Amino acid sequence: MPIHFPHWRRRAYAILGLLIAFGGVAAFAMTVGSVQIPFLTTCRVLLSQLPLVDITPTWLSTTETIILEIRLPRVILAGLVGAALAIAGATYQGLFRNPLADPYLIGVAQGAALGAVVGFLLPFDWHGMGVGVIPLLAFIGALVSVAIVYSLARVGKTLPMTTLILAGVALGALWGSIVSYLIITSGEKMHGIIFWLMGSFSLSEWSEVKVVLPYVVVGVVIILLYARSLNVMQLDEEQAQQLGIAVEKVKLILLAAATLITAAAVSFVGTIGFVGIITPHAVRLIWGPDHRFLLPLSVLSGAIFLILADLVARTALAPTEIPIGVITAICGAPFFLYLLRRKKRAVFF
Amino acid sequence: MIELEVRNLSLAYGRNVVVKGLTFRVMPGEMVGLIGPNGSGKSTIIKAISRVISPSSGQIFIDGKDISQISRGDLARLLGVVPQMPLLPNAFTAFEIVLMGRNPHLGLLQYEGARDMSITWRAMERTATQSLAERRIDELSGGEIQRLVVARVLAQEPKSILLDEPTANLDISHQVEILDLIKNLCLENNLTVVVALHDLNIASQYCDRLILINNGRVHAQGTPREVINSRNIEEVYGAEGCVYVHPVDGLPVVLLKAGSSRHAKPRDAIEGGAV
Repeated sequence: MPIHFPHWRRRAYAILGLLIAFGGVAAFAMTVGSVQIPFLTTCRVLLSQLPLVDITPTWLSTTETIILEIRLPRVILAGLVGAALAIAGATYQGLFRNPLADPYLIGVAQGAALGAVVGFLLPFDWHGMGVGVIPLLAFIGALVSVAIVYSLARVGKTLPMTTLILAGVALGALWGSIVSYLIITSGEKMHGIIFWLMGSFSLSEWSEVKVVLPYVVVGVVIILLYARSLNVMQLDEEQAQQLGIAVEKVKLILLAAATLITAAAVSFVGTIGFVGIITPHAVRLIWGPDHRFLLPLSVLSGAIFLILADLVARTALAPTEIPIGVITAICGAPFFLYLLRRKKRAVFF
Repeated sequence: MIELEVRNLSLAYGRNVVVKGLTFRVMPGEMVGLIGPNGSGKSTIIKAISRVISPSSGQIFIDGKDISQISRGDLARLLGVVPQMPLLPNAFTAFEIVLMGRNPHLGLLQYEGARDMSITWRAMERTATQSLAERRIDELSGGEIQRLVVARVLAQEPKSILLDEPTANLDISHQVEILDLIKNLCLENNLTVVVALHDLNIASQYCDRLILINNGRVHAQGTPREVINSRNIEEVYGAEGCVYVHPVDGLPVVLLKAGSSRHAKPRDAIEGGAV
């Protein structure tokens, strides 16, 4: 055969390269902060935690505490949320065949925001299973919101994607206006609410990582399984069915998986914007539209992007933290515009 | 080798009944044409047989098995479709699109292997689309896309092929090429072929049997010689006296004549003479 399959090797190398970059960025992010820790020391502290690795500690125990108890969970959570939002964005864009789709398109973010704001305004505080009342209500709000959108958009046995988008946008606007009203009348709690809405990793702990991790891992694996189906569904629903895809079933599985990981991610760190819509596009511009590469490459790029953004958020104006949503847009938008200009023949779908 | 049977099929979009009481059977190695005016329900029938829409009544059988009982994946291994004016995603390459034909043969965790690649490449060879392999869809013409979709159905390796106006975007040399190819496949591999055509001459040349549909009902059914005659054409299309005999093979041909429609001025219409 005179043709080798287009660019497979190049894309496989891209996955490998991004994996290495991810490791480097994560380790680097742990060296920077109010206490500077040398890169090699950071790596050795991390490696010493692995089973079967025997490294004699030559560092202070406070160094170890800073890395393992403060910076590591924060970096992991940032990576998980970035990965979750990026792959959810790529999935929604693929399902809706719409470059404007992002993980918040069908009401996840607004639902989560409403739940969180209600949590902020409750007169009491509550903790259970390592989860506070705010993330719990945010998670419930996100899922209830999407469930309502879904049941509104369903026509008989089918789910028309345009109806789903419109129902999501309309319901999202409704939640949004309620949230705005609650914010204005929230008095001294206003600052906390707005900070939550723009997103922050400042309260990251291991307990949160433990809750978010299973959702993201399971969701990502499910979505990756359907990568080829998502490719075929780029044709149109009719052709996809004629090529053997149970379109309605696959839509439902992918929507559920993407919604769950988005809800789990935003519940703890707020509705961080920009990662979910821009990361998949950047990956598409560089490595092409094949979801079998687009999805894993989005996972890695999203994780790297949010770890870096969080690094900037906590160090640029230290000791003040900048909301991470501000950083993702300030740093991400110029990079994306550069890509867009460089690839003038950009075709997204 | 499969046998396709449509039994008392009725199709509707909401309350709008498009096809009523359709019954026909296609045997392996047979190429059957669906002909009829625009809006007569040809495309809808193709969609129903490929289970994109479900019948309001009646059944469709593949080798005696009701298609509503067959999973999408299994159905796609039995039955491939060449849709009319297919929309393809611009960002993919031609090769990637044809490779999608292998989808029903692959499991959830499977990637295309060397065998899938060579089947795909062979399909592109037979449709003269190899030179397009690395080109992106937005760089291709309508005719090239049409041939690509035929290549995709070949890569799918179904036992039966349904085609909806496969020659609509093609010039005459490519029309003949694609239809010769499909006719050959039909005969060599004993495929069951159903093709919706608006071009009566192509239908007459290539199909073993024709089903003439008018307003969702079968108007006539039989060999091209039995179906394409002046009476049927006049009854269904309202065009008078335009059926002739092909000088080489004796099959019916339909020639249009300027001034034979209801919009013509009377003095233009009087000159037409036909068999």
